[in-house]
Amino acid sequence: MDPSPRPRLIPLLLLLLLSFSSPAARAWKKDEFRSCNQTPFCKRARTRGPHSLDAPLSLDAGSLFVSSDGSLTAVLTHPSRLRPLLLRLSALPPHALRLQIDEDYSTNTPPHRRFQVPDVLLPDVEARTLHLSEPKTAGGVSTLALSSDVDVVVKHSPFELTVRLAGSGDPVLSFNSHGLFDFESLQEAKAEGETWEEHFRSHTDTRPRGPQSITFDVSFHGAYFVYGLPEHGSTSLALRPTRGPGVEESEPYRLFNLDVFEYLHDSPFGLYGSIPFMIAHGDGASSGFFWLNAAEMQIDVLAPGWDGAASTENGRIDTLWMAESGVVDAFFFVGSEPKDVIKQYISVTGTPSMPQQFAVAYHQCRWNYRDEEDVAGVDSGFDEHDIPYDVLWLDIEHTDGKRYFTWDHSAFPNPEEMQRKIADKGRKMVSIVDPHIKRDSSFHLHEEATAKGYYVKDASGKDFDGWCWPGASSYPDMLNPEIREWWADKFSYENYKGSTPTLYIWNDMNEPSVFNGPEVTMPRDAIHYGDVEHRELHNAYGYYFHMATADGLLKRGEGKDRPFVLSRAFFAGSQRYGAVWTGDNSADWDHLKSSIPMVLTLGLTGMSFSGADIGGFFGNPEPDLLVRWYQVGAFYPFFRGHAHHDTKRREPWLFGERRTTLMREAIHMRYSLLPYYYTLFREASLTGIPIMRPLWLEFPDDKETYNNGEAFMVGPSLLAQGIYEDGQKSVSVYLPGKELWYDLRNGSPYKGGVSHKLEVTEDSIPSFQRAGTIMPRKDRFRRSSTQMVNDPYTLVIALNSSRAAEGELYVDDGKSYGFEQGAFIHRHFVFADNKLTSTNIAPDNPGNKKFSTDCVIERVIILGLSSAAKKAIVEPGNQEVGIELGPISLRRGSSSVAPTVRKPNVRVVDDWIIRIA
Amino acid sequence: MRLHALLLLWISAAAAASRPPLDTLGIPPQDEAYFRGGVIRCRDGSGKFTRDKLNDDFCDCTDGTDEPGTSACPEGKFYCQNAGHSPITIFSSRVNDGICDCCDGSDEYGSNATCKNTCWEAGKAAREKMKKKIATYKSGVVIRDQEVEKAKVAFAKDKAELTKLKSEEKILQGLVDKLKEQKSLIEKAEEEERLRKEKEEKRVKEEAEKQAANEKKAPDASQEVDSQKTHGNVQEDESKVADHHDGHASHENQTPENELSVVQHDPEIQDDTSIKAGPVDESPPKDTSAEPTKEQEPTPVNSEDLSREELGRLVASRWTGEKVDEVSKDDKKEHEAEHDMPEPSEEALEDELDVPEPAEDSYSGYRSEVEDDRHKFDDEDFPNESEDEYVDDHDDHVESYKSDDDQKADDHSDLTASGQASWLDKIQQTVHNVLQTFNFFKTPVDLSEASRVRKEYDDASSKLSKIQSRISTLTDKLKHDFGWSTWCHTAMRIFLSYRSHKQGKEKEFYYFYDRCFESKEGKYTYKVCPFKKASQVEGHSSTSLGRWDKFEESYGAMEFSNGDKCWNGPDRSLKVRLRCGLNNELNGVDEPSRCEYVAVLSTPALCIEEKLKELKQKLQVMSSNQAGHDEL
Repeated sequence: MDPSPRPRLIPLLLLLLLSFSSPAARAWKKDEFRSCNQTPFCKRARTRGPHSLDAPLSLDAGSLFVSSDGSLTAVLTHPSRLRPLLLRLSALPPHALRLQIDEDYSTNTPPHRRFQVPDVLLPDVEARTLHLSEPKTAGGVSTLALSSDVDVVVKHSPFELTVRLAGSGDPVLSFNSHGLFDFESLQEAKAEGETWEEHFRSHTDTRPRGPQSITFDVSFHGAYFVYGLPEHGSTSLALRPTRGPGVEESEPYRLFNLDVFEYLHDSPFGLYGSIPFMIAHGDGASSGFFWLNAAEMQIDVLAPGWDGAASTENGRIDTLWMAESGVVDAFFFVGSEPKDVIKQYISVTGTPSMPQQFAVAYHQCRWNYRDEEDVAGVDSGFDEHDIPYDVLWLDIEHTDGKRYFTWDHSAFPNPEEMQRKIADKGRKMVSIVDPHIKRDSSFHLHEEATAKGYYVKDASGKDFDGWCWPGASSYPDMLNPEIREWWADKFSYENYKGSTPTLYIWNDMNEPSVFNGPEVTMPRDAIHYGDVEHRELHNAYGYYFHMATADGLLKRGEGKDRPFVLSRAFFAGSQRYGAVWTGDNSADWDHLKSSIPMVLTLGLTGMSFSGADIGGFFGNPEPDLLVRWYQVGAFYPFFRGHAHHDTKRREPWLFGERRTTLMREAIHMRYSLLPYYYTLFREASLTGIPIMRPLWLEFPDDKETYNNGEAFMVGPSLLAQGIYEDGQKSVSVYLPGKELWYDLRNGSPYKGGVSHKLEVTEDSIPSFQRAGTIMPRKDRFRRSSTQMVNDPYTLVIALNSSRAAEGELYVDDGKSYGFEQGAFIHRHFVFADNKLTSTNIAPDNPGNKKFSTDCVIERVIILGLSSAAKKAIVEPGNQEVGIELGPISLRRGSSSVAPTVRKPNVRVVDDWIIRIA
Repeated sequence: MRLHALLLLWISAAAAASRPPLDTLGIPPQDEAYFRGGVIRCRDGSGKFTRDKLNDDFCDCTDGTDEPGTSACPEGKFYCQNAGHSPITIFSSRVNDGICDCCDGSDEYGSNATCKNTCWEAGKAAREKMKKKIATYKSGVVIRDQEVEKAKVAFAKDKAELTKLKSEEKILQGLVDKLKEQKSLIEKAEEEERLRKEKEEKRVKEEAEKQAANEKKAPDASQEVDSQKTHGNVQEDESKVADHHDGHASHENQTPENELSVVQHDPEIQDDTSIKAGPVDESPPKDTSAEPTKEQEPTPVNSEDLSREELGRLVASRWTGEKVDEVSKDDKKEHEAEHDMPEPSEEALEDELDVPEPAEDSYSGYRSEVEDDRHKFDDEDFPNESEDEYVDDHDDHVESYKSDDDQKADDHSDLTASGQASWLDKIQQTVHNVLQTFNFFKTPVDLSEASRVRKEYDDASSKLSKIQSRISTLTDKLKHDFGWSTWCHTAMRIFLSYRSHKQGKEKEFYYFYDRCFESKEGKYTYKVCPFKKASQVEGHSSTSLGRWDKFEESYGAMEFSNGDKCWNGPDRSLKVRLRCGLNNELNGVDEPSRCEYVAVLSTPALCIEEKLKELKQKLQVMSSNQAGHDEL
């Protein structure tokens, strides 16, 4: 309600104000972020030609041996080096190679050691490594077997490593094949006249530990495209080349967690999170490369001919990796198909956590729902318009002066009562908790953190004092496990006054965002626990914060309630702690379009639970854009509407009856697919295979799909194509594979393996069920997913050319960890020979707990079945049920098109057969 | 099987309400007949179903016809009888969802929820509430009727005044024209007289020179010259006004010339010249033209010159849209010094100048007529006190008050009503006399008569202009929509006559024109002046929330739009929803979206008889339901 008070007559500030009022001034501030050229290690590494290093590293053949832990070690050196490097190679089944290189500190000990990122790799990674057999060395080359299919060739001088297929000898991945591997030694002190300081705008980085960057090249053989490296705004799913012939964009992909105001929808500049994992895919091979390093990283994807070579090996993609500091701790993954690569990456960084059922449903957010009345009004607005939603969110304004864990008592006098009222309808709430802590002596959290010395320190050793929402702020040092423990305890009901068991948490600004810091983040020379410089762990700060918060919720619920924590910043492994979203996007069509490649990329790199703000955070979406965004966003794994406080209200019922209907239908569609989504989340939590998938993940041999960033799969059964243009009349949709696809809305069949030019309708985006699949749905819409628990299921069977189909259904209590002790059901539905069979696919001995439900299947829709079928027999019991033509969905006006088994009413927990008579 | 389970559940659940049998479950009594046949059509015509499929918990009609009593069809509706209270229809998604929606609990016949029948209590409470509402409406209707009567009178009065003023204007215009004619005759005569005298003087002078006499004489003549000079000045003034207009025209005429000169500055042409001029001319014209544009753009902030804190605020402000100098509320302690900075006065000044509107200024002078002394009819006699009053006399505790504009108007109408006949008569008489005198004027012109004519002319034309301005003010006021009979065509009214309420038909908002309503919310005072404007006042600074736009929602809301620009947001606007209430009270000011304000004004104007009848009927229905309960 603030009328934006008038400018006080302070000339400088008046000047600032003027500069803001121009629209141009609102755009992304490129100048405030470092380009590669302004980043000495990047500029240096990038301007170097292949095989041009002064001191290329060589492997000392005599040092090569298999150590007692089964790994292979060796020394890398060059006569001019201050200190040799220690190399370690280890193997993880099935086809992963881990390469670790650090300095050998035994001969010449620097004042500091290089940082190795802790608590990201799963604790059992070491235990799972294979015992390598002795390498075979001949002619300066050592060969060692990784598995029966894959071996590793190590060339000694200069050091070069190639992972190849053992049978054919075809290379898959190679390291330093272009001789760009450089590893700057830590120095004891500056040389005479040398300066280590770096300046950017008004900021000085003291760099007391000097240059310590690492660079190397990695080549992916047999690859058509490379993918991954979130997070960047992009309309392209594949990573476009950043250097080489024909490349105009000259910046490498930057991995540096940043809070970017109004980010560009298509740019290699770094955003909120960083995952240094790249997947390569061709029609014969899939591979991946992961570099566990939390320092600033820049990665070039090199266009063929970048090295001046006249002709390049067919299907090879070269990449250049540069990091400011840290060590080499890298994983090479070889897979027969891309899912293999993802599974191996997940096997080292962890599986995504299984969310609660509510978290998979629709979330309603705004900066800010102002007070309890506003909350009640929005809540009842959904009910009045019969639109389901599960979670209502509170942004920063709910707090007492941006002191997290507190409430603005004038706006939220009775937070517990408010949450209870929402919870009475089966709904939850989420409140925001950011890492910046207000430096206010009356704020107990600040006092405690100060007293315990829990804040990150600045270069001079004092508590780092930055600026964020509350004004002067400090940041708890989340690298320290003790501080994470302390932080986690803050979420107990006792400590977080006004919180209830139905309140979950949102971590924002955890890059960390520091408004007056260099590039709106923390200075790199800030000091963390263990004398670690911020530069070394920057990209993982948000990860540790997310981890501590999720642990807090776990503790709060005594380990029985699955946490829900949404984070903006992320790093490799963040999937273990919750969901992420693509940050402060904008209400324009371009951002809608780029949201798909962004979410797909997150999924490929483990972050399967992700989404973009529906409607776009900044600005007011045109109503048509908002509708389209709901239609696309209803497929995001994380489905949340959000808006900046300057924007108009945009709850789904504010744009006229027709649009309310369209948005309601989009949300209804998601709710009806919740059983399918939840089953996919289960799969993700076991394997890391994402919910939302690039087409090529399901059709790895179909080249047409390799760079399709406009269409996507949800699980194995559903394909959707977004509409990304205003007033678009027709759209070309490529449907992969040889089987038919059935329109999700009306059951019309479409041929696979061709592009279809389809008329665009306002009522949905093109979406299809793949022939040969069975999708479980619940077609009764309630206020929230909570009320759907006992509702009956619909199975939608799409028959393939063999008149067969299969699908799965996973069900548990939707909230606890009972499933870890076997309290779940997992059914496999198979349709073949005119009968549908449900069998149990839960492991034989999943645990000592049981889960049961009385839910039945009320309807089986069979697409592709002859309409002559009139009845079915249900076994056991030999009960006869009717088959009638019915609609695909229960929307008003849907026509009856598909044979539908009416009320078989078999329980989902049971084994049964429905035989078409 | 499923239904079996449901029935079992239902029996075991201690539902307070009894569930009707399947063929009436969820069906409103008036619709029961629809479901009687053996084969029933889906209401949307999409298909039909046999009676055994009615409420069999499987959706056969996508419009929900076959499942009024279950949750099987998403588009269905469920009817609860709610004996003891009012029956309602709920979405079928609420049926057996574990949440009690119907006070009789009939929607949860098959869930685990145990719903108590709360209809009796709820109904009682609702009836009490309804009774209170009816009481409010009853009194409100009376007040409203009175206000409507008053408004009718006032409207008629204003209209009558307007008519009268118009006829006066006509008469006065005639007089002014005649006087003007007379005046120009006099002036012509005077001019002739002057020339004659000049000639005479010249002759006399010459003669005197000839006589070489040094006597000084002709004080009369010099006097005459003086008076002529004065007159000349007046004429000059008039011609200046004309010049002014001409000036405008000539200014416009100049525009093409300017364009021409712009064309000459076309860079390409200049490029040509510079090429001709050779290498000497080093500054390309494009640069020179670019520079000023650059300067017009806000100077980019050099954040490198900022202190750490300033930088923090600056970056934060991008997201928040807050002004950089605004210290967040929480920081008051630390930054009190900054808060003590004096508020800039410019804006406040602007606001004072804003009020009252310029058009209203002109008739503020009209008050002088009360004294009915046309000789005092002079602008200087009427200082703009009213403006000061407007700013100073608003009292926070007063919720509504007459706006000054209309106090003026009232003053004026008092005057015109009583004294007006005489002044027009007088002026007519005077003019008549004057004209009569001059019907046979002769030269030399009688000086006193001439000045009398001029004076009469000045007075009359000044009066005319005041009448004209008052006419325009009144016309402005009357053209407002105080209720639609003021603007609506009869045909339109017939077309719309199905509307049961009289809202807006009776100029019930006429008296709003004279009023402003205030509400204090925290540190702000909100001021709403219907038909004029709305503002948010904090201390001495005022922010416009909008100018009067229109009634919305069939006179259920007032809209103000195009208020002060919002940083990073839309122009401010305010929507005031109207509710029936005994007093005019503004409250509930809120800002659901940035700079889009809403408020509620309770007013007797919304206490409509038809609505009262409706409410009474509702209460009757509620009470009859209560009877139904009693029978049970």
